[in-house]
Amino acid sequence: MRYSETLVDHFRNPRNAGMMREPDGVGEGEYPECMDLARVYLRVRGGQVVEARFQSYGCGPTIATSSAGTELITGAQLAELVELSSARVERAVGGLPEDRAHAAEVVSAAIRAAARDALGRAGRT
Amino acid sequence: MNRRVYLDHNASTPVHPEVLEAMLPYFGERFGNPSSVHAFGREARDGVETAREQVAGFLRTGRDEIVFTSGGTESDNFAIKGVAAARGHGHIITSAIEHHAVLRTCQTLETQGFEATYVPVDGYGMVDPDDVKRALRPDTILVSLMHANSEVGTLQPVAAVGALTRERGIPFHVDAVQTFGKILVDVEGFGIDLLSFSGHKIYGPKGVAGLYIRKGTKLVAVQHGGEHERHRRAGTENVPGIVGLGRAVEIRGRDMEAEAPRLAALRDRLWQGISAVSHEVRLNGHPTRRLPGTCNVCFRHVESESIVLGLDLKGIGVSAGSACTSGNVEPSYVLVAMGVPVDWAMGSVRCSLGRSTTAEDIDYVIEAVVPLVARLRSLSPARV
Repeated sequence: MRYSETLVDHFRNPRNAGMMREPDGVGEGEYPECMDLARVYLRVRGGQVVEARFQSYGCGPTIATSSAGTELITGAQLAELVELSSARVERAVGGLPEDRAHAAEVVSAAIRAAARDALGRAGRT
Repeated sequence: MNRRVYLDHNASTPVHPEVLEAMLPYFGERFGNPSSVHAFGREARDGVETAREQVAGFLRTGRDEIVFTSGGTESDNFAIKGVAAARGHGHIITSAIEHHAVLRTCQTLETQGFEATYVPVDGYGMVDPDDVKRALRPDTILVSLMHANSEVGTLQPVAAVGALTRERGIPFHVDAVQTFGKILVDVEGFGIDLLSFSGHKIYGPKGVAGLYIRKGTKLVAVQHGGEHERHRRAGTENVPGIVGLGRAVEIRGRDMEAEAPRLAALRDRLWQGISAVSHEVRLNGHPTRRLPGTCNVCFRHVESESIVLGLDLKGIGVSAGSACTSGNVEPSYVLVAMGVPVDWAMGSVRCSLGRSTTAEDIDYVIEAVVPLVARLRSLSPARV
């Protein structure tokens, strides 16, 4: 198997899968060359992510990374997520083969977008 | 431990035990170079010539019309470049869904002054012989058409196209890598002048294949060196491989007729099992004029590779229609040429059955794939 045990575990048993009603922030990451799409929903209390959920279309690594990414950010501060790197997301899924590195890019982009959206909404209220 | 089910026989097959048995002496005591005149060489030569007889007998051709090569890709290159080099210039007709060994060879020849027409296919992946007829020109030097497409299994009307080319004296090349040893390939009846065939799709070894060249077909060698294969293909023969190919062909001659309907029934059982319980699925390829063991299915709103990974984790080997390489994924060019919409084509999976496939295997795959697709769809942001 060319994928890490962590990746396979997340693919088999995705955590935090599914949409969230009335989220405090939503963001999407896309990789057009591959048609991959990840959408991340955030529930935020006091600037901290208390719940994250995802919906993803793509190859196995993209689905697994979405799951690992939502686990990684639960409990994190929104402010730090705006800068979240794809490398951190990749580490959370136990690494990715070079030709699947886009999975971490798609998911980290979705998380950053969701964090920006949540911060924007918070700023408006 | 998971059950292991291999449904990727169009990619490759395991070597038949009787084939392996036939090959083994040629790695050991019969190791000689078939070009050598001594007894060691003669033993190896006998092995090669027996294989040539086995292939010629199976195809009902002359022995000296069979040339052994290193693979289906070489056979296709040899046929097309060999005819092109013999003529020097001219026009080639092929189809839009050929194997890359044919497509890229034709595209390369286009950069060298040759012209090519890629005839389209219909929604089943089938070429219309009238399109070939309309594409024919006075300077057409070759028509190259696959017998069956490896992805969807659709059988092309090679007999009708062969009648057209024969009437006009144009060489007709058929890439039969996916049909040779699986269904009848009637070289004479189909009007074929050049036929590519391979060993590892029919329980022979990898790295060995062949090209049938009808006597009188103008073709020049593309690989130069020694005087092997009657000056047509230089290079020391892959003796164990050729012996294995010969034995594999002989076994197919024995087993093929009974196996085809058995595989067709299992193939249909697979599609019926999937389509009965899954929505938004479609069968690709012609419903009946199709390879007996090939079942290509699109699952809408799911990406092929995630299905392949999910099935791999259940011990099932199938092939993805869309392949992600270096972060770039494109739907299958075959499905696109057939007019399959991209959101469907991205979720295509090919199951190709073989001699070891059982009804229990098929039921196991149905039990695995249906919930897997449902789960992947539940994760998807697409509206399903």
